Amino acid sequence: MLDGERLKILTESAKYDVSCSSSGSARANRKGGLGNASFGGICHSFTPDGRCVSLLKILQSNRCAYNCLYCPNRADADVPRAAATPDEICQLTVAFYRRNYIEGLFLSSAVDGSPDRTMETMLDTVIRLRKVYNFNGYIHLKGIPHADRALAMRAAQYVDRMSYNIEFPSEHSLKLLAPQKSKESVLLPIRRLSDEKKASSAEKSRKKPKFLPAGQTTQMIVGASPEADGQILRLSEALYRKFSLKRVYYSSYIPVVHHSLLPDKCAGLLREHRLYQADWLMRFYGFSAEEIAPDGENLPEAYDPKCAWALRNMHLFPVEVNTAPLELLLRVPGIGTMGAYRILKARRFAALDFADLAKMRVVLKRAKHFITCGGKFCGAGSDAAVRTLLALESREEKYEQLSLFSLPELAESARTGQL
Amino acid sequence: MNLYLTDGSEESFYTAAFTACTDGDCVVTSAREVQLAAGAVLIEVRADKERCARVKRFLRRYDARALGEIALLLRRGCAAKEMAALGYLRLIVRERAPVRDRLSHPAVLEAMSEIKKVTQEAHRYKGFLRFMECANGIYYAPLEPDNDILELIVPHFARRFADQPFAIHDVARQKAVLCRDGRRTFIRTEEKVDIPLSDGELTLQALWREYYAAVNIAQRPHEKQMKGYMPVRYWKYLPEKQGGAPSRR
Repeated sequence: MLDGERLKILTESAKYDVSCSSSGSARANRKGGLGNASFGGICHSFTPDGRCVSLLKILQSNRCAYNCLYCPNRADADVPRAAATPDEICQLTVAFYRRNYIEGLFLSSAVDGSPDRTMETMLDTVIRLRKVYNFNGYIHLKGIPHADRALAMRAAQYVDRMSYNIEFPSEHSLKLLAPQKSKESVLLPIRRLSDEKKASSAEKSRKKPKFLPAGQTTQMIVGASPEADGQILRLSEALYRKFSLKRVYYSSYIPVVHHSLLPDKCAGLLREHRLYQADWLMRFYGFSAEEIAPDGENLPEAYDPKCAWALRNMHLFPVEVNTAPLELLLRVPGIGTMGAYRILKARRFAALDFADLAKMRVVLKRAKHFITCGGKFCGAGSDAAVRTLLALESREEKYEQLSLFSLPELAESARTGQL
Repeated sequence: MNLYLTDGSEESFYTAAFTACTDGDCVVTSAREVQLAAGAVLIEVRADKERCARVKRFLRRYDARALGEIALLLRRGCAAKEMAALGYLRLIVRERAPVRDRLSHPAVLEAMSEIKKVTQEAHRYKGFLRFMECANGIYYAPLEPDNDILELIVPHFARRFADQPFAIHDVARQKAVLCRDGRRTFIRTEEKVDIPLSDGELTLQALWREYYAAVNIAQRPHEKQMKGYMPVRYWKYLPEKQGGAPSRR
């Protein structure tokens, strides 16, 4: 079994990977095997940074041949190095899994030797885990750029999810900060996997193992390079549309490494939070990147992106809650997806008033400026007043909470993206 | 005013509901320490198969799904659970139709939010339950949930750990389930059970604590959010939240 010292090194190097979700796969436990995957995902613990622990996040090795400036494991860095054998990782995964500490494995690696060699070792680990250890829990595998295509395709037969990190929102920044990676080296494997998944789901065979059932995700660092939110969101939108990615993760930059090409300051949690809010608007609320932020601009800090959009489009409001179609309800600040569906159900039986909405968890502080109930309007009189009130409300939240979402319902909002 | 005192079982509740449904301002409860209001008449309900079956038959006819919802409601760990269930039942009786979508009706709101508390806790325990390996090879997990959710989480773990004998123990309600080779046995237990652990168990728990400490990003402290997602009352049986954790953050 892996010892504590190496576990510490290999996890500390892996912890900056944002994705820990274990959702999207319903892999069943085969006879005599261990584990299954839960479609909705399960969080097993939460660390003092407020993030969830769902998967055993670990590197196969942190010995890296690459020299990406921002990375604590880059070749030039003077840090303790370690590697684990496939069996060591399998044993640890199974031991943790049997105690219900984790939902599965998130395996990543530094480029140890060559990309092919690294990917081969990782592939060995996941195949062993499935075949020798009979493990049917969740596996998320990080793809190594430049590794042979066949290795990735093979891995995708065994794991639930794969991800290649985009790293930076533009080709220019990638070239500057991660000299050994290129736009092609990250986008090409994503495209291949996406094509293969489309082809395999078209086949519809029950016997064949599912190809990457939980799809692909990616991650980019925000705030280490100059791209504006508008550009970042356009990139995400393209990734969702072209490659059907499940998630794009945004990681606000933390200066672990000091370099003249990198900023010294943290990018801040607020920017990351606003990006996630905007991301949710694109995935669940029917917004396009175009509507949310102009190309070269950042999202406003003063209020959330849905409020910002509504304030730019005051001519569409107020909408009547008792008759408005779903698409419009979803655009009202303070009405989330759950709230909108509740309204649709409840209004079939009785006309709704403001008190009803409050009971149904609609955030009236925001929503009241944009809706009428049975013709009644309770919001502020002028656009300027609405703007001020929304900004005030958002600021109160910020100050009261140190950094953003400490209230349970807001924390819930951060997780579920209800706006 | 009548006060129906049930024994907490589902059958007893439906027996009480048989009359309570049309008994205007009555109270139904299973809480032993109820305050009797002046002029209130205490009626101890003894479970009656016939009456229970008639209410259930009625429900099945107009809204079969409500049976499951009421069963969940009655798992709530609060004194008002019977009244929430009765309010919901009364509305179905009045409408003679499913009412769960009438989300602006107080009785429906109450029922749905109480059910949510039960299912949410059951979901949380799918993550927060911790097994330890005992010397006899059985994996043992204690829990103290707010609501009576043991039976709700068993199928999940039985599917997942099909190849592993395990026991889940609701310490507060003094009951446990033992799963082995696809068979499930429910038993009553003492408040405290003494279980010798396997040789490697403590080492493994230490390794898990090591992992938990290492995966945290210390530059982004956000303890409030951690506690929002994982309330302190669930920490009691989490090895990563017990002493002996490495001091490094």
